[in-house]
Amino acid sequence: MTDNKQFDPELEADTELMAYVDGTLPPDRMNAVEARLAADPAARAATSAWRHHDNLIRQMGQSADGQPVNLRTAALERELVAKLRARKRRAMMFSPVLGQVAAAVFLFAAGWGAHAMITEMRGPASYPQFVNAAIAEHTAYRQANLLQASFTSDEMDRAVEWMSEQMQRKISSPKLEQYGYQVQSARLLNTEEGPLGIFYFLDAEGQTITLAVKPHDDSVPDYRFRIVDVNNERLAYWNDEGLDYSLLANVTTAMMTTLAAAVSP
Amino acid sequence: MSVNHNLRDAVSLTSEVTHHVARLRRYALVLTRDMTAAEDLVQETLLKAISKADSWQPGTDLRPWLFRIMHNTFVSDLRRAKTRSDAAPDLPDPVVPDHQQTQLELKQVLDALHQLPEAQRKPIILIALREMSYAEAARALDVPLGTFMSRLGRGREALRRIMSGVSKSKLAVLNNKEKSS
Repeated sequence: MTDNKQFDPELEADTELMAYVDGTLPPDRMNAVEARLAADPAARAATSAWRHHDNLIRQMGQSADGQPVNLRTAALERELVAKLRARKRRAMMFSPVLGQVAAAVFLFAAGWGAHAMITEMRGPASYPQFVNAAIAEHTAYRQANLLQASFTSDEMDRAVEWMSEQMQRKISSPKLEQYGYQVQSARLLNTEEGPLGIFYFLDAEGQTITLAVKPHDDSVPDYRFRIVDVNNERLAYWNDEGLDYSLLANVTTAMMTTLAAAVSP
Repeated sequence: MSVNHNLRDAVSLTSEVTHHVARLRRYALVLTRDMTAAEDLVQETLLKAISKADSWQPGTDLRPWLFRIMHNTFVSDLRRAKTRSDAAPDLPDPVVPDHQQTQLELKQVLDALHQLPEAQRKPIILIALREMSYAEAARALDVPLGTFMSRLGRGREALRRIMSGVSKSKLAVLNNKEKSS
């Protein structure tokens, strides 16, 4: 065999032979290619060499698997996982298509109506009722673990001071009394994305409002004020002066806008 | 969206990243031929991935994204090395597995591989390591699939030519030894 025959220029463009070597050849072409290789010494030599070189390179690469764990690499790996997880959450929160889901995610953090919401989002037929109850309990337990501090209605000054310190932002006490809502309590949760402050309000008829506040992530663009319907309630969310707000209430759109303006004037 | 889904998702993301880091380490070792340099390259890649986490699109495969970062990091390192010295950087002797029969041949293949242009070397390594499909590898290298296949084919044949020359010179040395003895 001469070199010219051995190194047929057409071989380097033969994607079918490459697929044969790389194990990606469709089964219905296997017999044809094997018959060709049996009759074509140049193609046989080429595929044999490609496979042999691949095996040697792979053997070299696999020798990395036996190396001891590098602590710095392991730490960076964990940090990357945390960043990617946060990225996934943010993508869910700020996707226009998933606006309603995003609102629900924020509500999860606020601990509001987990049971009803899960039922709403997964659909009533997705699993039996007792599973919903178990998930709601699990959520409540997890929320309890995230709780950093809780405040009664007469501790609001201390609550906003504490939250401002934790969030490194100036948090103002939300003033909704002029609209008939009295603050009942406040909580500060230590979530994976940072501190999350929650205020609960109640009016004379027993209607509740939940307000959640968190520092705005600078790597995420600002998003405009939006109101969405979630589980027969209204949810408004927006960001202003370095803070993300979420407000949940069963009121009209106009009233929702008024309440939002009162929260971040 | 449910809590169970979130927990499952968190576990799978951790395990996915761990697998990808192992793949990156194999690839880095073939690229650098030195375990310490490979670990450095992996760490530098992870640092860049951490700072660029917002550029990853959730729902898309992490693997091409991570490999693309490693390619760019490796190319930047090479450029920096070239800037520091007019001469091309000396390649370290490869760290090879302890199999006597293949050790020499492996070194020859790696030497030959590093004689190839960067554009041909990377497709060969990616496919040899069986880390990705053709389409995924093309995405990782930011080239169209047709270009990738063309570079893979040309690279494989160029490698074969170089290795064929190596085999002939080995044979010539052996023949000369026999004649002189």
